[in-house]
Amino acid sequence: MKKSMWFTVLSFTLMIALLAGCAPKANQASNSDVHASSDAASSSTGGAITVAYSEGGQTLDPAEANDLTSDTLVLALYDQLVTYGVKQVNGADIADTTDIKPMLAESWEVASDNVTYTFKLRKDAKFQSGNPVTADDVVFSLEHIKNSNSGGFLYQQATIDSFRKVDDSTVEVKLTRPNQLFLQILAMYSFSVIDQKSVQGDAGDFLKTKTAGSGPFVLEKWDPSSEAILKANDAYWQDRAKLDKVTLKFMKEASTRTLLLGKGDLDLAMEIPPKDIETLKSNENITVRSDASNRILYMGLNTAVKPFDNEKVRQAMSYAMPTDALLKDVMFGQAKQMKSIVASNTPGFSDAGYVYSYNLDKAKELLAEAGYPNGFDFDFTLGSGFKDWEDSATILQAELKKIGVNMNIKKLARAQFLEQVQTKKVQAYFSKWTSFVNDPEYHLGFLANSASSSNYVNYNNPKVDDLLKKAAVETDSAKRNEMYGQIQEMINTDMPYAYLYEYNRIVAFNKDLKGYIFFPDECLRFYPLSK
Amino acid sequence: MLQFITRRMIYLIPSLLGIVLITFILSRVLPGDPALMIAGEQAPQSVVENIRTELGLNDPLYVQFGTYVKQLFQGDLGTAWHTGHTVIEDFAVRLPATIELGIVSLLIALLVAIPVGIIAATKKESILDHISRFFSLIGACMPVFWLGLLLILIFYSKLGIAPAPMGRIGNDILPPTNITGLYLVDSLLTADWVAFRQALSHIIMPAICLSAGTMAIIARMMRSSMLEVIGQDYIRTARAKGLSEGNVIYKHALANASIPTITMVGLQIGYLLGGAVITETLFSWPGVGSYVTESILATDYAPIQAFTLLSAVVYSVINLLVDVIYGLIDPRIRYD
Repeated sequence: MKKSMWFTVLSFTLMIALLAGCAPKANQASNSDVHASSDAASSSTGGAITVAYSEGGQTLDPAEANDLTSDTLVLALYDQLVTYGVKQVNGADIADTTDIKPMLAESWEVASDNVTYTFKLRKDAKFQSGNPVTADDVVFSLEHIKNSNSGGFLYQQATIDSFRKVDDSTVEVKLTRPNQLFLQILAMYSFSVIDQKSVQGDAGDFLKTKTAGSGPFVLEKWDPSSEAILKANDAYWQDRAKLDKVTLKFMKEASTRTLLLGKGDLDLAMEIPPKDIETLKSNENITVRSDASNRILYMGLNTAVKPFDNEKVRQAMSYAMPTDALLKDVMFGQAKQMKSIVASNTPGFSDAGYVYSYNLDKAKELLAEAGYPNGFDFDFTLGSGFKDWEDSATILQAELKKIGVNMNIKKLARAQFLEQVQTKKVQAYFSKWTSFVNDPEYHLGFLANSASSSNYVNYNNPKVDDLLKKAAVETDSAKRNEMYGQIQEMINTDMPYAYLYEYNRIVAFNKDLKGYIFFPDECLRFYPLSK
Repeated sequence: MLQFITRRMIYLIPSLLGIVLITFILSRVLPGDPALMIAGEQAPQSVVENIRTELGLNDPLYVQFGTYVKQLFQGDLGTAWHTGHTVIEDFAVRLPATIELGIVSLLIALLVAIPVGIIAATKKESILDHISRFFSLIGACMPVFWLGLLLILIFYSKLGIAPAPMGRIGNDILPPTNITGLYLVDSLLTADWVAFRQALSHIIMPAICLSAGTMAIIARMMRSSMLEVIGQDYIRTARAKGLSEGNVIYKHALANASIPTITMVGLQIGYLLGGAVITETLFSWPGVGSYVTESILATDYAPIQAFTLLSAVVYSVINLLVDVIYGLIDPRIRYD
């Protein structure tokens, strides 16, 4: 028995040794190749970069992409008909969403009815497959977005009525009404142009994990559990990307991302916690960009439930909001005070009617007028997943205690939280909102329109609804912004939301990395980057 | 023996069915709507409703359960919406990473804990015994995430001797040709020494982190069962016969003392699967542990159910193995 066991062990060892001897050395050779090529690459102008994200992304389908990583990948792999221009603000490059530039469409015309757009496609643009970009592909892509879930809703926002191929390089799109936002929405990743001939079988299934774009990068690998690898598209119809290779590493732990960046193992890290900014800034090899985004954080106060059905109580909450403490102690200065439900860097923003500053006496006075001289108790629903929400809730709870208001914090996992607020019965909660297209309509139409399904606070002001309808079809932008100004003023009196702050998008990167541009959709474009 | 194993395998079927039912009901009864998570907070109601219909979430529970069981029998574990792949595809990529990490951790734990346990027992109340007890206590109660962060801080950040905690292999290195999926084994088999060195250096920190708790418990277990066996009559007889102390301990005492330890090792494999959830997240290790964490956060039913089922199968099989090993070690145990 024992002898035979030893024999087995011995022969197994021999077998491994033999295998090791005979096995092709291909991989070893290729590994040394990799070393050689990466050494060569780092000395050339292009080079490779490693970037860290917290999540690995959910889909590669442009129409379904709905999270930071997926959106970023889509933007690297696909092109759109039009794109945003770039402006300089205080020496930093920032995308200008009101300046629409040609991309796959070399030009477009708007008919005098303001609803018919005719796009002329570039003749030299090719997909990564080698197929030319044609009007059929554009029609196919629009059809795909129309029938999708995530993109379908943007399609509605774009108010597209119909579209058709005029000839091989001309597409006509008709809108249901004049829409100032149409071209801005068209520049979004959701409206990427898809290579119809490359798609096999059901488009939705195919595009989820495979790509059919014309973008500056080719996908070499995408494994949401660890990494995605992008290589420059050598046959790109514009200048080839300056970077040869981009590796996206997915790491959940925020402190690890900061650590790796500081040590030089990463070239760029997204989603840096505000508390780490000072440490990173003290590292001379790191550039920190903290740009004002149009992502806002607010406290929803349910106007259909006592005591927040009373306007004075809602105003009192704004007087009790310790804005300075939140900005300093929670966000470490990486956020801005909010003075309207529309973000301050959105064209059409107005802080008219915002009179609130931290003043507990005034808050107490208003509570007394509303019939709550001794304060009240209320339930606050806190969605998990964001450290700053928890910290802000704790600070606010302590402030409210001083005026006799007891805020009972009920913490829920994210999925449950979303389910709860949808019922529109939650008394008070925190939530964030991003305007992808940087226009007041986007914020107001969802948060203040009484018919909106995202209006979880049951805010209902007929005057606001009426103005929203008028502003949506107004083609004169000055008049339109004036109406949005009036709406914001009314909301600043009704205060269905108490404002916390406007977030900054924090990105930290190696000093050698050049060409970073901030986009209001907060997605990184790898194309302009160089090292 | 064969009969025993067959019978145990048959018993496995009803318990697995029970587990399938319980995990299905638990994941459905707990609040949280996957359709809302898929659509995102800014999506209108109609989109959410579409997704719900697509996923079959509007069907009554028993219909959903029926579909699920039918798929299971066809070997289909469903699709994870948060990755876009089927659960089988995801597991195929991630499971080897977790198995490799688990095996290496278990090896480290056993290689350290068994000698330490034996020495602590034979040199009872000596300074060595006290030191081992001190470290076992620390090892058993130290939170995994804290130990992991500490290891990263010391060995990567301060000393710079460990590689960046970024997965299984360096950035510019090709993984070895896929044979078993275990990088260490595959790189050995293909004699890819570059990849082997890389894989080894990447696995050491997470493996030590994961093994700490197991190591401590096995060492304590080994010590106490060894002490019990040493006190037995037959050991005294062996000594009286004039056998050397080494012979007494390693030939006569060790086999008998290892039975409770083997039970403990079996249980610890379950712990390693659980501990992997935290360790993998810390070290960006692309295994099933981090996958399940993501799935839970995303309310992605299919992978959660599949992982529970997998854990149940692993646990049952290990228990069976433990029972079989008993018989091999101790001839007094018979299976009739």
